[in-house]
Amino acid sequence: MKTFAVLQLSGCAGCEMSLLEAGDWTKKYELTHLPLVISSHDIPDVEVLLISGGVRTDEDLFKLRRSVKKAQQVVAVGTCAISGGVASLGDREEVRALFTAEESRREVPRLLPKCHPIDTFVNVTFYLPGCPPTPELFMVALSGKNDFKSSKIVCAECGRKKVKEIRPQSLAGFSQGSVLTDICLIKQGFLCIGSSTRNGCLAPCPRAGFPCVGCRGPSDILMEKGKAAWLQSIQRIFETLTDIPAEEVNAGLRSPQLSLFLFQFSDYDGTARPVRPKEKMI
Amino acid sequence: MPTLKFPLSRIEGHAQVVIEVQGGKVVSAYFQATEFRGFEHLVKGVPAEDMVVIVPRICGVCSTAHHVAAVEALEDAYGVTPPPLAQNIRELLLLGQLIQNQATSLFIFTMPDRLGTESIFQIPDQADTAQPMHIAQGVAQVRKAGTNLIKVAGGQFIHPVKAVVGGMTSGITKAEADAARAEVEAALPLACRLFDYYIEKTRELKERIGTLGDDAPAYYIASVGDTKPDYSGDRLRMLDPHGVLCDEFPARDFWSHLTYEETDYSYSGRTNYKGNVIRANSLARINMAKSMGTPYADGYLKRFRETFGHPAHAILLFDIARGIELVYALERALEILSGPLDGEDTHIGFTPRDGEGYGLVEAPRGPLIHHYVIQNGLISKADFIIPTVHNVMAIEQALRVAAERYITAERIDMELEHAVGRVVRAFDPCIACATH
Repeated sequence: MKTFAVLQLSGCAGCEMSLLEAGDWTKKYELTHLPLVISSHDIPDVEVLLISGGVRTDEDLFKLRRSVKKAQQVVAVGTCAISGGVASLGDREEVRALFTAEESRREVPRLLPKCHPIDTFVNVTFYLPGCPPTPELFMVALSGKNDFKSSKIVCAECGRKKVKEIRPQSLAGFSQGSVLTDICLIKQGFLCIGSSTRNGCLAPCPRAGFPCVGCRGPSDILMEKGKAAWLQSIQRIFETLTDIPAEEVNAGLRSPQLSLFLFQFSDYDGTARPVRPKEKMI
Repeated sequence: MPTLKFPLSRIEGHAQVVIEVQGGKVVSAYFQATEFRGFEHLVKGVPAEDMVVIVPRICGVCSTAHHVAAVEALEDAYGVTPPPLAQNIRELLLLGQLIQNQATSLFIFTMPDRLGTESIFQIPDQADTAQPMHIAQGVAQVRKAGTNLIKVAGGQFIHPVKAVVGGMTSGITKAEADAARAEVEAALPLACRLFDYYIEKTRELKERIGTLGDDAPAYYIASVGDTKPDYSGDRLRMLDPHGVLCDEFPARDFWSHLTYEETDYSYSGRTNYKGNVIRANSLARINMAKSMGTPYADGYLKRFRETFGHPAHAILLFDIARGIELVYALERALEILSGPLDGEDTHIGFTPRDGEGYGLVEAPRGPLIHHYVIQNGLISKADFIIPTVHNVMAIEQALRVAAERYITAERIDMELEHAVGRVVRAFDPCIACATH
């Protein structure tokens, strides 16, 4: 059986819980290392190494560098490993100052100045985006072939109707009352970014009535274009579908810390990192 | 001075146990959480309502509890009461998490300790003729009943989205509820068989090692009532070491009733009650329960009481208590799924306002409190009081008991390594949460 291991860096274990849900791997693959479910403290040589979490501490970095040498294929799993994820919210001067206060603790791994995606330090064979990626997508990652087919954007899967007659005037959000079933969330004045987000998840959030926050990252078309082009494309969607003033949409999209969109923009913003090739993105 | 370090596995997150020994005497036993992301810092300045999306990411195992606690903290700050149907769906959401968590802790984290394996994914088929089924497959099915409940009630089973200020974004259709009910109905007998097997294997373990671990009387903390536990949490309750309710207070009075302290050896803080060791999690709730209010769970509770007395203190009973709750959660979920959940009255409008709010949820690991201060619509201060933090002193005390059992002037019994694992896993700590 094909062997695989999972290296958990600083993250939430959500990716691992999603993997556990993809029950089928137990029949096809041999899991050799994942301390969450197996008592083993070292990664053996494996065919596929899944890495979740960001590089937050010096211990993360040490483990990362040591582990990738043992694997034929390295898959960056989840938003934290791919873009630093939610921890990138701390990548601000005023927050960094707070972190330095934590450094007085002894006998624990030192914190790095920021949380890094793993490809800052090592080469990655495939990226498996999502927060977390769905169980089905884990099976694709384990297969070692990026042959997953789906519609390009989340918007194509949510099934809500873009009714012409409805044109919201403002970004009212949940304060306005109940979410209408079957009607596009943008048409109800929600800041949904499913139109720029990579599909593969089959739109569970907008289907359930919550706007897409873009956890699968940019769609193929937008991946190589950068943040300005993404914001423009979302702006255009709102101009077409709503009467919400452009300034209001813009302010919403750039809301403090871009917190709602940290999955899409956090690490792509203002860095000199080469574009991640879409062929490597599952 | 020799120092023994035991990296931990089959728990959520990164932690190790450090035991210092001198001349055959145990000097100290530390439970050291070695990861840190700093959520209290990094949510500063984010729009308040974004918290419901951000804070589930504290932990992928406990994301449901954080999601609901965040919503409740905001509702407290805004003065909003969600409609009854929304509260019903939230209870179902939390039950789904309890099923998933207790099944994971019992069967994936601690079952291998009873079977002498490294993992349930490495048990050969029919290794034991008494084995009721293919363990890993049975466990997957029970867990799935829980994760599917989270999915229908919360939108997705990790980092759910459906709880928002004012209620839930949508109800549960009849078709979804029927499908979920069929899964839970199938999982219930399976869970009972796995749990019976687990109880039997725990009895064998006790015969082999001669103990169920540290059984010193302790204080217990939980936020459920004493019948038909509602995990939405209302007030914190403390049980004294004799099993008598000795204190009761709302989440906002937490600071004046418990003492919270940071340590320099771990990224996790710890709490105490007037200087005393406290315990949260399953055993706290089971010691507090007069009845579970469902037939199978009450049967297990009765046998538990007859066998171990009240209050029960031995730490391996945390695991057994978890099984009782697993059965309860499945039974209670069936009750809720039998009622109407597809109404449109899941949400009410609200007016956001600045101020302060507390959210309290009884997570699988104990009472979880979120506290936010909102200024100009943004979070200016956030505190996350994590259940595991209440157990840190209890874990360290139990580690010391185990260490003293296996360390003598002449030798260190290698059973210690297994004992350390069993002790920590009994408390089912969550390190991602504890350090956040």
